Amino acid sequence: MNASLITLDNLAIGYDGQAVLSGISLTIARGSFTAILGANGTGKSTLLKTLLGLQPPVSGKIQIGADGVKPIFGYVPQAIQFDPLYPLTGFDVALMGTFGRVGTGRFPSRAEKEFVRECLRVTAADKFAATKFSQLSGGQKQRVLIARALATKPDILVLDEPTAGVDVVATLALLEFISQIHKERNLTVLLVTHDLPLVKKHAQQIVWLHNGVVLCGTVAELFTPEKMSEIFEMEVG
Amino acid sequence: METLKEILSPDFLLRNSVYTSVLVGFACPLVGVFLVLRRLVFMGVALPQISSTGVAVALSLPVWLGLTVNSAEEHAHTLAFVGSTVFTLVAILILAWLERRGRGSAEGRLGTAYVVATALSILLLSKNRVAEAGWLDLLKGEIITISNFDLGLTAISLAFVLVVLGLFNKELLLVSFDRAMAATLGKNVLAWDAVLYLLIGLTVSVAVLSVGPLIAFGFLLIPPLTAHLFARNMKWFVILASLIGGVSSFFGFWLAYQWDWPVGPTDVVLLGAVYALAFGVKKIFSLRQPKLKSRLAK
Repeated sequence: MNASLITLDNLAIGYDGQAVLSGISLTIARGSFTAILGANGTGKSTLLKTLLGLQPPVSGKIQIGADGVKPIFGYVPQAIQFDPLYPLTGFDVALMGTFGRVGTGRFPSRAEKEFVRECLRVTAADKFAATKFSQLSGGQKQRVLIARALATKPDILVLDEPTAGVDVVATLALLEFISQIHKERNLTVLLVTHDLPLVKKHAQQIVWLHNGVVLCGTVAELFTPEKMSEIFEMEVG
Repeated sequence: METLKEILSPDFLLRNSVYTSVLVGFACPLVGVFLVLRRLVFMGVALPQISSTGVAVALSLPVWLGLTVNSAEEHAHTLAFVGSTVFTLVAILILAWLERRGRGSAEGRLGTAYVVATALSILLLSKNRVAEAGWLDLLKGEIITISNFDLGLTAISLAFVLVVLGLFNKELLLVSFDRAMAATLGKNVLAWDAVLYLLIGLTVSVAVLSVGPLIAFGFLLIPPLTAHLFARNMKWFVILASLIGGVSSFFGFWLAYQWDWPVGPTDVVLLGAVYALAFGVKKIFSLRQPKLKSRLAK
């Protein structure tokens, strides 16, 4: 069993002290592929923000990393959230991944820039590195954002609805690619999505948020007719 | 051409005004770029006005305290600089804090700040003739008399802004473009926001004192909008915006001197004309581009 990277103990999450979801207890192991699944408004993004430290928990405990060493998050947000007003190229956006390592008031070195080019090559985004980020398609933007996340040299890759605004073909290719780098690099992946078939194919562990209830388990444990009917409160199959 | 030679001469009587105008023209777009990208253009309108209220308070102070300081004297200018800077910085920090809370209407707040600041300035100066004359000059953008001290103050302040912007450009860009990413990389988003707002505040207060609120807003807004039409990346966006501001301010001064127009409004009208021209050129090119592409394809 791999060491745990993130442990949530009876966590309650929400805004302004008001919990939208409570009683969350789970462990994310190093090298695992975990999917946070749920419909819109179930608290997926709130859970993600809490895990990333962007929002304090209402109550409960979060332990991130081991022996006091905090893991580096390679965060991949939804591509549609970015303001198209910024005249940034794909390379400019990917370069931001190095800003955590490059000291304040310093500029990325040639080696860092070369590393970013390598990340863009790995994600097959090097062809549009010189194109304005705002002019790229949804799938191309996601590849650049994954390159940016890889440029952080992450311990955990966190993807927030990476397939939002991306066509079906690009979605499949994107998830295949994420699955591939997860296996090749033994990279911990945390994927937030509402796409059930994708989760079934790629994720090892599922965190399913439904009607204020959090269900955790493997694909085999959760995707049984009994569990599904329990989740959807109806008979399945 | 004779006028141009005269302006460029080191013995030109109004050389300090030319230098100040050009400095403001180069510097304002550098912070204006962030106002445009963060969609805080309304802040660009309200802040110079609040800054000029600070000037109004500063120019009224000697009268309230029973002192006789002429508005043309150096003391009055220093006082105005302090008033302008303090009001701008306090206002920008309050507005930024309210913006961060995300409640209510940001446009409504900025609109209220703008109109109250203008009314307050008029009220404050209505009983102070000496100060009123100075403030009206400022409002009209009369930048004719600039002392060596004022020029030095402007140059030092704007050089400081330039150095800080250059050094921390990547941090300021990151927190503007993707706050969540910045936070996950361990950047103190609030602190970097504060740095950016302080730079904007300082630039605005210096610009208002040199060229007035209307012209300061013109230099904050129009050069970045013009540069945005052609910028292919962030570096060129900033450089182009600054160049458009600086060059326009010089030619604006030249035109104003040639035709005996007030300098500030001439600058803004020129900037507007440059923006309109750039927009037209961009449209023509974008219309011709498909034709060019199809010709190349053949």
